Amino acid sequence: MRFTISREKLQEGLAAVTASIPAKTTLPVLANILVEATEKGIRLSGTDLDIAVTTEVAADVETTGAITIPAKKLSEIARELPPAPVRIAAVGEQRITLDCGRSHFKILGLPRDEFPAFPNVKFNESWRIRSGDLIKLISHTSFAVSTEESRPILNGVLWELRPEMMRMVATNGHRLAKMEMPIKSTGAPASDMIVPPKALEQIRRLFPEDEELEIAKGENHLGFRSPFTAVFTRLIEGPYPPYEQVIPKDNNRVAIADRTALTSALRRMTIIASDQTHRIRMSFNAGMLKFSVQTPDLGEANDELAVRYTGDPLDIGFNANYLLEVLRYIPTDEVRLTFKAPERAATLEPEGWADPASYLCLVMPLRLLD
Amino acid sequence: MSVASPPRIAVLPSAVADQIAAGEVVERPSSVVKELIENALDAGASSVDVAIEDGGRQTIRVSDDGCGMSPDDAVLALERHATSKIRSAADLVGVRSFGFRGEALAAMCSVSHLELETAPDDGAGTLVRAAGGAILDVSPIARRRGTTVRISRLFYNAPARLKFLRGSRSEWRAIVEVIGSMALTRRDVRVSVTNDGKPMLSLPASATLRERLAAIYGGAFAGRLLDVDDVIGTTHVAGLVERPSDVGTATRRAFLSVNGRAVRDTGIVRAAEAAYRSTIPAGVRPTIFLDVTVAADAVDVNVHPAKAEVRFRDRWPLERAIENAVARALGTFDAGATLGRSHWTFVPPSPPPQALAPVDVEALHPDGPDLEGLFEISNNDTLEPPPSPAAPASAPPPAPTTDVPPLTQLHRTYMLFEHEQGVVLIDQHSAHERVLYERFMGTLERGEAPAQRLLFPMTLHLGPAESEAFERDRELFERLGFEIDGFGGHTLIVRAVPMPHPRFDPERCVRETLAALTGDRDAGVHARHERLAATVACKAAIKGGDLLSPGEMRALYIALRDTKLPAHDVHGRATIVQLTWDEIDRRFGRR
Repeated sequence: MRFTISREKLQEGLAAVTASIPAKTTLPVLANILVEATEKGIRLSGTDLDIAVTTEVAADVETTGAITIPAKKLSEIARELPPAPVRIAAVGEQRITLDCGRSHFKILGLPRDEFPAFPNVKFNESWRIRSGDLIKLISHTSFAVSTEESRPILNGVLWELRPEMMRMVATNGHRLAKMEMPIKSTGAPASDMIVPPKALEQIRRLFPEDEELEIAKGENHLGFRSPFTAVFTRLIEGPYPPYEQVIPKDNNRVAIADRTALTSALRRMTIIASDQTHRIRMSFNAGMLKFSVQTPDLGEANDELAVRYTGDPLDIGFNANYLLEVLRYIPTDEVRLTFKAPERAATLEPEGWADPASYLCLVMPLRLLD
Repeated sequence: MSVASPPRIAVLPSAVADQIAAGEVVERPSSVVKELIENALDAGASSVDVAIEDGGRQTIRVSDDGCGMSPDDAVLALERHATSKIRSAADLVGVRSFGFRGEALAAMCSVSHLELETAPDDGAGTLVRAAGGAILDVSPIARRRGTTVRISRLFYNAPARLKFLRGSRSEWRAIVEVIGSMALTRRDVRVSVTNDGKPMLSLPASATLRERLAAIYGGAFAGRLLDVDDVIGTTHVAGLVERPSDVGTATRRAFLSVNGRAVRDTGIVRAAEAAYRSTIPAGVRPTIFLDVTVAADAVDVNVHPAKAEVRFRDRWPLERAIENAVARALGTFDAGATLGRSHWTFVPPSPPPQALAPVDVEALHPDGPDLEGLFEISNNDTLEPPPSPAAPASAPPPAPTTDVPPLTQLHRTYMLFEHEQGVVLIDQHSAHERVLYERFMGTLERGEAPAQRLLFPMTLHLGPAESEAFERDRELFERLGFEIDGFGGHTLIVRAVPMPHPRFDPERCVRETLAALTGDRDAGVHARHERLAATVACKAAIKGGDLLSPGEMRALYIALRDTKLPAHDVHGRATIVQLTWDEIDRRFGRR
């Protein structure tokens, strides 16, 4: 294996891949990057066995071949190199030399055979989706996944692909975010997949908004591909909880509030709310929303906000952090909140959103004590 | 059948009366030793030598360097109710000397051969010889200032008593007990003891209880004890108590002095032991050495001839004060288990005790001396941010006003930090368990539990025993923040759960708690609260093996510091282990 590559191209390729390299691993080869020289250029790949990222960059290949090299060291070297073409050559199965200007490195690696094979995902039957649409769904939902390890299903984002639309749902059992948008029919069959948020984060990071992605499902893996870069991820198996059933249909108390003002008021309240539960009380009355919080050993606080409210007066408790989090993602200036009763789910939606997509968040209340 | 004429009533001759009275004061050699040492101490001795032969059955000799007596006083001292210590009944209130009844010498004299040598100053002294209560002769002698009393052939004329004396070893042990307790009470007095001519104990005058204990039981033992020093109201409680992690590993010893007088009082001991609740397994008892000082008129010592018991005017506040003081000592991070000997210099030296002084409330520190705990305990709680256990990464970092040392996680199980005295390890599960336990106990008592409604209610299928356990504690579960519906049979629907920390797994917690409570039939409400809180805390706490972020470790450290008993988890295991520099240095051969 022998090739010459510009310093910038090498840095670009490494930046795409190194984020998929695990910081700590029991399998030494996972700390390495797989470098393959082909006729088209070079291909860099990294994986932590859950997610794999591979990208192609242009290079002048003299002889083809492959080897794995410690990812951290290679990136650090690439960062410090002088602006000159970089010549990389394999010496035997597990060593390379790297020359750039007057700099010379010899780096020990591991044979290519030790690198795990990539998941078998066939792209012949695939969905084609604009990456911008995908990224929009990801950034509005993946924040809501559970980080608690006891229910692995909730650690993933549910992605429902239908001929006419796609939808993503994430929840930790206390609050839920759901976004859907129409898509052009692609011919591939409908599918439900539970995707680890880490993989979705890679999608958001690696693909520019206007790229058309090919997406295909293997046995229990999912692959995303653009002309140069591909991401593969393991899917989380199992049935997703029946989220449709818990989304309230008959919430008959509705408040419309200014998102920024509501956020500010909530942030003020959280200062006094318990660090442990972040519990606050919200009292809705015609035209007025009153906040109050009392924390033993700390103190209390009250606030008021003018809102458009219809329905009987309501007192309800929430974890203020859950509300604040959801409000961050509401794309409009005004937010529409709906309620049924103090122990029933509340919903938050953008108000007056002229967008083909629709967005709904749901927050379960906290018990209030009188 | 002949009826004997009823015996006539007659006033007993004084010799017989004295012998009967003697039985109350002098029951065995150890009580003679006790009385004689007390006399020596009341005479202002700074040095007391005791010589015993044959367990005191042969001879008991106690010499002191106290004030001595004039020839006339020496003779009078052997009379019943002769004393220099009180003058009128009014003096009995607030009496501060050990003796005052004027009975001891007369009683001893009536059942033994007694030799009393005494001199008020070096030079001319008096020797009084007596036997069976009668003075045989009085002669002038030359001797040093002080008094020596020699009792031989104890109970020679009281065969009933003599028969009940135990073997010499057993009597010797009883004497050692008495001397030990006196030595702990009056630590400023030099004490030496010989048995059959062999020196057995030689205690130099000591400034502190710890030094005295080290002289009696060894430095390692004394070094491991924790300082108690607290003033509550007019009660000052000071002393040393065992670390909970050491309880049960050595002979249990209990010593108690009230206003400088060694006493037995089960109430006070029980109060001190109550402070250990939830830190040591049931059934073992801690070693305690406590000096309790109360206002002199709050205690009546004239209850018992041997004065081993006292009566308090107001017992409840006293016991509560003692429990609080001990709990406070156990509540420091210092109270954790130590490897190797802990530093002595660590303990601030206290002035020699003025055992007989009345309580001067003004002079007592309201907070006790600064214990220099691992955490500088500040009484100014308002400056501290409230404890936040395992704060989520999104939470703002705790205010930098608290000094939290850099923490490292080891083996995903322990948090390690460095401290002036050594290296400290905290068991993350035990620590979190303690934090949650105290929080749940508070919750159970106030019923103020936040309950997060669940989007997807959990369904639990239970066995019959578990459902029974749930039914019994249902109300308590609800107070903790669970909302649970029975669903017929043994199925439960959990609709809301508490959120003690972000890693909390409610399903597993409920399931494991119910499994642990199965068959548990604790009746008392408080006991049930404690049991449930401890079980839920154990099941809800982060486990060994959980990777903690620096923020989480910080939050746990702060929360643990703010608990009442940080050094112990709810099963009586240690939460904190200290590895002293001493120990580390030794292992590296640096000393």
